[in-house]
Amino acid sequence: MKHLNRRHFLGAGLLLGASTLIGKELPAKPIAIPQEYVPPIIAFPEKKPMVAISDRPPLLKSAKGRELFTQPITPNDEFFVRWHLPDIPTFVDLSTFRLEVKGEVHTPLSLSVDDLKSKFEPTEITAVLQCGGNSRKYYKNVGPATHGVQWDHGAMGCAVWKGVRLKDLLEHAGVKESARWVGLNGLEKPAMEETPDFFREMAIAEALEDQILVAYSMNGEDLPYLNGFPLRLVIPGHFADSWVKMLTEITVLDRYQKSFFMDVAYTVPDNDCECVVSGSDFEYKRKPIASMKVKSVIGYPSSDTVIKKGSKVKVAGVAFDQGKGIKEVMISLDGGKSWSAAKLAAENGKYSFRMWTYEWDAKIKGDFSIMARAINRIGNIQPQVDEIGWNAGGYQYNAVDVVNVKIV
Amino acid sequence: MKKLFLTALILGATTLFAQVDKPVEMPYVDYPMVKGDHDEVAQQYCLICHSWGYILNQGKKSRPYWKGTVQKMVNEFKAPISKEDQQTITNYLVKHYGYETTSAH
Repeated sequence: MKHLNRRHFLGAGLLLGASTLIGKELPAKPIAIPQEYVPPIIAFPEKKPMVAISDRPPLLKSAKGRELFTQPITPNDEFFVRWHLPDIPTFVDLSTFRLEVKGEVHTPLSLSVDDLKSKFEPTEITAVLQCGGNSRKYYKNVGPATHGVQWDHGAMGCAVWKGVRLKDLLEHAGVKESARWVGLNGLEKPAMEETPDFFREMAIAEALEDQILVAYSMNGEDLPYLNGFPLRLVIPGHFADSWVKMLTEITVLDRYQKSFFMDVAYTVPDNDCECVVSGSDFEYKRKPIASMKVKSVIGYPSSDTVIKKGSKVKVAGVAFDQGKGIKEVMISLDGGKSWSAAKLAAENGKYSFRMWTYEWDAKIKGDFSIMARAINRIGNIQPQVDEIGWNAGGYQYNAVDVVNVKIV
Repeated sequence: MKKLFLTALILGATTLFAQVDKPVEMPYVDYPMVKGDHDEVAQQYCLICHSWGYILNQGKKSRPYWKGTVQKMVNEFKAPISKEDQQTITNYLVKHYGYETTSAH
């Protein structure tokens, strides 16, 4: 694994700086100018060294790349991180921290983490957490690179979440007849008062579904600070944007409140394909992203894996969807001409990573394109790479995954 | 209920990992910014809310893209940037982190 220390990092900066001279004065020896910026790998609290896309707000992904997706549960210290606002408390005092349940309720609640643990029935669920913009860099295969940080598959993970049902909290507070929406807010704050808060909303009917949790535990430990300690919302089957971190306010509302992070950010075109002609900017009617799309990701091999002729390759990866369940994962080794079924591991609940493997005898030297394509139980199938509908925000990418390898 | 309480006790004893008694220390990452062409204006405003990593990790973008992004920072995020400084920042971004074209991307 490449590990960039500070000196290397400064060197990379100089290299970038040098690129601006080209055209005026060519250096004696041609230098390699990276096409794509490579972020440094840095240790953050409670994390292994992570690829630091941004430190403020923190956007981190595992330095392992695809290899992270050869296991059913993503370790906490390698789990991706994505905050939206720069002012995040560096200390949460549990003796004063309270989760408020308020608004259109009969009895407003103010609960400590201990209250949640001791006064409500604990519930556990294994679920995939995936950023809406995960894999968006691959949209450039069908159109222009989209808006936003060009994530590869690194903005996802699967964990065992434990906490209290949101429904139990709402019922304990007593939701009034007038309740229509539930607003969610956490402790991350903007640098300036005028900047919109990271405020999210869900319809009351959805908030009362059984599987939604206010989680205080992730993979058997407290939530890591960077993943939302001490509480975060868990919405199995949904993209990560409403899984509010450092959750402090649950406000039952009688009407929808317009907000930047619901109505402008994290939106797709409001039409059947949720897509537009590639290249068009945001000039379309939008709707918030919600349910995840059926997807598989190849964990092994990756494009830099050296495969020797005659070896047996265990192609492996994960698949998941919005909670309908994976029916089949198909593998192609000839660039999509023929497909065969991968072996699926036992299901670990409806919302988790479903592991799959495929034994491949690497018999002939040459270039090979490995593809994975998942189908779920209601017939949703991953689109081919050239079929996926484009959107300017680069959300919901779920085309067939491709890894090009060389057998030597 | 008694069993539940016991479980809670055991959990309490084994899940203290994040309950640190002092603030966590967040590392500072010194993302490189190209000098010149009024980089100080970009520094002054862009870095109020986010690191330079946000720019570096989007890849090279067109003039309309960067212009739209600077406008989004003003209109949606309420960044206090004057018209003149918006222009300066857009020019800086296009020159060093983008390219000239009329299409949006």
